[in-house]
Amino acid sequence: MSRGIVFDVREFTIHDGPGIRTTVFMKGCPLRCTWCHNPEGLDMAPSVMRSPAGERTVGRSYEAAELAEILSRQASILAMNGGGVTFSGGEPLMQAGFVAEVIDLLPGMHVVLDTSGYAEPAAFLDVASRVDLVLFDIKLIDAEAHRRWTGQDNGPILRNLALLEELERPFVARIPLVPGVTDTQDNLSAIASTLALTPTLIEAQLLPYNRAAGGKYAACGMSFQPGFDEDQAPNIDVEPFRRAGIEVRVA
Amino acid sequence: MNERLTGLRTRTRAGHFSQYRQPASPELIAECDREGLSWPMRMARLTRRMCEAERVVVEPDERIVFTRTLPTVPAVYAAEDLAAMTEGRTLHEGGIVNNVCADWGMAIGEGLLGRRRVALETRARALAAGDDEAVEFSEAAIEAIDAVLALAGRYAAEARRIGNEDVAAVLERVPAERPRTFHEALQSLRFLQAMVWLSGHHHVGLGRLDQYLWPYLAADVEAGRLVEASAEELLAEFFIALNRDSDLYPGIQQGDNGQSMTLGGVTPAGRSAINPLTWMALRVARDVGLIDPKVNLRISADTDQALLELGTELTRKGLGFPQYANDDVVIPALASHGYDLEDARDYTVAACWEFIIPGRGMDVGNIGAVSFPAAADTAIREGLAAGASFEDILSRTEVQVARQVRERTEPYERLLWAPAPWYSVLMTDALEKGVDHGRGAKYRNLGIHGAAAASAADSLAAVQRHVFGIGDVAADELLEALAVDFVDHEALRRRLAEESPRVGLNEPLVDGLLCRLYDWLADACDAERERGLIVRPGTGTAMYYLWLARGRADGPLPEPVVGATADGRHSGDPFGANLAPTPGTPLRGPISVLQSYAKIDYGRICNGGPITLELSDSVFRSEGSIGKVAQLVHTFAQLGGQQLQLNALSASQLMDAKAHPEEHRDLIVRVWGWSGYFCELSPEYQDHVISRHLYAEV
Repeated sequence: MSRGIVFDVREFTIHDGPGIRTTVFMKGCPLRCTWCHNPEGLDMAPSVMRSPAGERTVGRSYEAAELAEILSRQASILAMNGGGVTFSGGEPLMQAGFVAEVIDLLPGMHVVLDTSGYAEPAAFLDVASRVDLVLFDIKLIDAEAHRRWTGQDNGPILRNLALLEELERPFVARIPLVPGVTDTQDNLSAIASTLALTPTLIEAQLLPYNRAAGGKYAACGMSFQPGFDEDQAPNIDVEPFRRAGIEVRVA
Repeated sequence: MNERLTGLRTRTRAGHFSQYRQPASPELIAECDREGLSWPMRMARLTRRMCEAERVVVEPDERIVFTRTLPTVPAVYAAEDLAAMTEGRTLHEGGIVNNVCADWGMAIGEGLLGRRRVALETRARALAAGDDEAVEFSEAAIEAIDAVLALAGRYAAEARRIGNEDVAAVLERVPAERPRTFHEALQSLRFLQAMVWLSGHHHVGLGRLDQYLWPYLAADVEAGRLVEASAEELLAEFFIALNRDSDLYPGIQQGDNGQSMTLGGVTPAGRSAINPLTWMALRVARDVGLIDPKVNLRISADTDQALLELGTELTRKGLGFPQYANDDVVIPALASHGYDLEDARDYTVAACWEFIIPGRGMDVGNIGAVSFPAAADTAIREGLAAGASFEDILSRTEVQVARQVRERTEPYERLLWAPAPWYSVLMTDALEKGVDHGRGAKYRNLGIHGAAAASAADSLAAVQRHVFGIGDVAADELLEALAVDFVDHEALRRRLAEESPRVGLNEPLVDGLLCRLYDWLADACDAERERGLIVRPGTGTAMYYLWLARGRADGPLPEPVVGATADGRHSGDPFGANLAPTPGTPLRGPISVLQSYAKIDYGRICNGGPITLELSDSVFRSEGSIGKVAQLVHTFAQLGGQQLQLNALSASQLMDAKAHPEEHRDLIVRVWGWSGYFCELSPEYQDHVISRHLYAEV
C-alpha cells in the first residue's frame, strides 16, 4: 500500500468538474508558474502556514486505503448530485502510483484528473486511463516562453496531450489568461491550432487571471513575484477557438 | 423595485422616520395605582394610552402606513410592587409574553369588530356564570380593541386630510373588518402587528405569511384587480415598513427582534402549502435586501429544485437567510412531543429557530442552556482525578447533563406570564375561552438549548484517544494543563487540538459521542414529563456560544462557565454557534459537516437550532453555482437534517467593514439566529462572525 502527501481535501468544489465534487489536492509540483495561486502545493514536503486564524501544518501523509475510505463515505452523496472526486494539486501525477491506487479503491465513483500534463508518459497513462474526465492545463505553446514562465519544458505536456487522444479520454482544456504572458494573440492561436486536432476535447475554458493569486504567499513564508503586470486586464479572446471550431467558454 | 420603493427603502435605512419620534412615552403607574386597577386592566390601559399617545404619520407616497413614534413602553407597576406581587414565581424575560406567533389569518379575517363581538359574547356568558376572571379578561380585551380601532380611525382621518385617498379608503375598512383586497390585508397585518410591539411584547413573529395572505391575493388576481407586479410592490412596501421602527424593538443586539416569517411547507391537512405567494415573498425579500422580515423556508426531500434555487439567490446576496427547516423530521418530532398532527404541520419558526404553533403556542423556547462543555469538563476533571475509566467519565457526563436540565427547568415549574389582553385578541381561541393566552394556550411547553456539543464531544474524544487510547498524555499532566489554561503546555495543547478526532469531519467515533450527548439531553428532558412538563431539547446556542465561555458582562448567568477544555481550547475562546464545529477545526467542507450532524436523532431533539455552513463568496462566482448550492440544501434534507442556515461572505469583506463601517452600512450578517447589520453589532460579535469566515476559507 503506498502513501501520498495531500495538502487539502476540500468538499463542495464546484469549479473542478461536473456536479458537487470533493477535490484532493496532492502536494508537490514540477512546475513553478509565476502566477501559481497554490504556493503551499509546490513542495511535496509538509510545510507551515500562518494566518490570522492561527498556524497550521500543510501536508498530511495518507495511506491509499485511508484516503479512499474518507472519500467513499460520501460517495453516495456525490453520485446523487452528479459529481464525484477530483484529483488536483500541485500536480497529482507526481504521485501517480498513489492516485491510481486510491482510484482503484473507489469503484463506481466519477473521477476527474486536473493536471498540468507534466509527467512521465507511464505515470500519465496510469492515471488518465482510470478517470472519467481530464482537465488538462495548457499554458504556453512556445517552448522557450514555457521554460521562462513555468521553469520547465512543454515537450512532455504536448506528448501527454497526444497520449490522451490515443486513450480516447474526454478532456477539457483549461487555459489561464495571464496578462501579457499566456493571453497573447500568438499563444492563443497556437493553442487553438493544437487543440483543433484533438477530437475528444469537450471544450476549452479560459480562466482570466485572478488578482488574488498572490494571497497565500505571505502565509507560506514566500514572496510573490509574478514578473508581469497584474493590473493589466487579461485579453479575453475566444475568437481563435471559435475559428478552430472549438467549444469555448470563459470560466 | 421601482423608484417609489427605492426611495422608501433609502429613507427607512437613513432613519427618516425617526424625525417623528416623540421625546417620551406616557407614564402609567400613578394612574393605575390611583384607580386600583388589576394587572389585566393595567395591561389593557397600557395599550390604550399608547394608542392615544401615538402621533399619526402619513406620507403622501405611502400605501401601507404606520410609524411608531413613542420611544419606549412604560411599566404598569412600580418594580418593587411587581416583585412583591410575583414573589416566588418565574417571570421569563420580565414576564411579558414574547417570541410566539399570533393567528394572523384569523385576526385579519375576522377583523377587530369580529373579535370584539366574540369578546362581548364571552363576557355575557361569563357574567351569567359568575366567572369574574373571564369577565375582566373580556373587558380588558375590548378596551384594547377599542383603542386600536380609535388609532386606526385617526390614521384614516389623517390620510384623508393630506389627500392620500388610497390609504384613507383602506383604513376605513381595516383592521376593523375583513379585508377585501391583498392591499387591505397587508395594511391590517401591519397595524395589528405594530400594536403588539406597542403593547410591550417583543420578538413578534409574522408566521406563515404565504398561507394566510394567499387567499386575498388569489381573489384579487382572479377578479383582475391586481397584477403580479403591483402585488409585489405592495409586499415590498410592507417588508420595508417592518424595518422602520425596528431600532426600538428590544433584543440582545440590534437586529435580534424576531420579525421572522415562515414560507412553504405543508398545510394542516398535509398537502403541499407552496403557492404563488411563497415564490413572490422570496423574490421580494431578495430584492428588498433588508434584515426584516427574516425568512424561514420549510422544505422536505421532495421540494422543487427551482424553489431551492430561489432561496439560494437570497443566500448569494449575503442576507443570511432563508433558514431551512425540514418538514420530514420536524413534524414527526413535534407530534411525538405532544403536538396534534394538524398543529405540528402548521408550525412556524419563532424568532430564531424554535418551532411554534401559530395562535396556539405559548412555549418558552429558551429557558436556558445546557452547557455540554461544562458537563464534559466536570466529568473529565473529576473522573481523571478519581482514576475513573473512560466509560465512567461518560456516565459522569450524563449525570452532569441531567443535573443542568433539572436546574434550568425547576424555576419554570413556577412560570408566570403577565396578562396580555391585546395579544390574546389575536390568538386562536383565547377570546372564545375567556382565558388569557399566557394562561390558556394549548401548548405551553419548554425548550432548552443543548449548547456547544461539538466542543464537548471533541474534548471527550481527545481524552479517549490520548489518555485511554494511545496513552501519550498522562491524566495528571492533562489536569495540570487544564488548571493553568495550557500555560507552558503548548505542545500538549496542540496535540489535543490537532491530533484528535473532531466533530464536522464525519468521523464515526467522535460523532457517536456527539449523538450520545444529545441522547442524554433527550433522556433528561423526557424525565421532566414525570413532573408534567414537556421540555424540548434543542441544538441552538443563542448567545451562549460566548456566554458559556466567558460569562455574561451585563448580568448573572445561571449556566456554568467553563475554562480551558480538553479539546485544546483556551479559556475564554468562544464555541461554535448552533450546530457548527468548534472554531479552528480543520474542516474539509459542507458535506462532512452535514454528515456529522445528520446523525443526531432529531425525532428526540426538536427545539430547533440550525446546522450552520459558511460558504466562501467565491462559490457564487462560477456558472451553475446557484444550482449546486440548491443541491446542497436538497442533500441536507435527504440526509435527514433538521434545520440549515447558510452564509456567504468573505472574511476580508468583513474585516474591511469593521475597519471602515461607513462604507458597509448595508452589510448583513447572520449572528446566531437572526440577521443584523454587521456595523451595528458589538465588537465581540463582529469578531466571532469574522473568525467563522476565516476558518471557512483558510
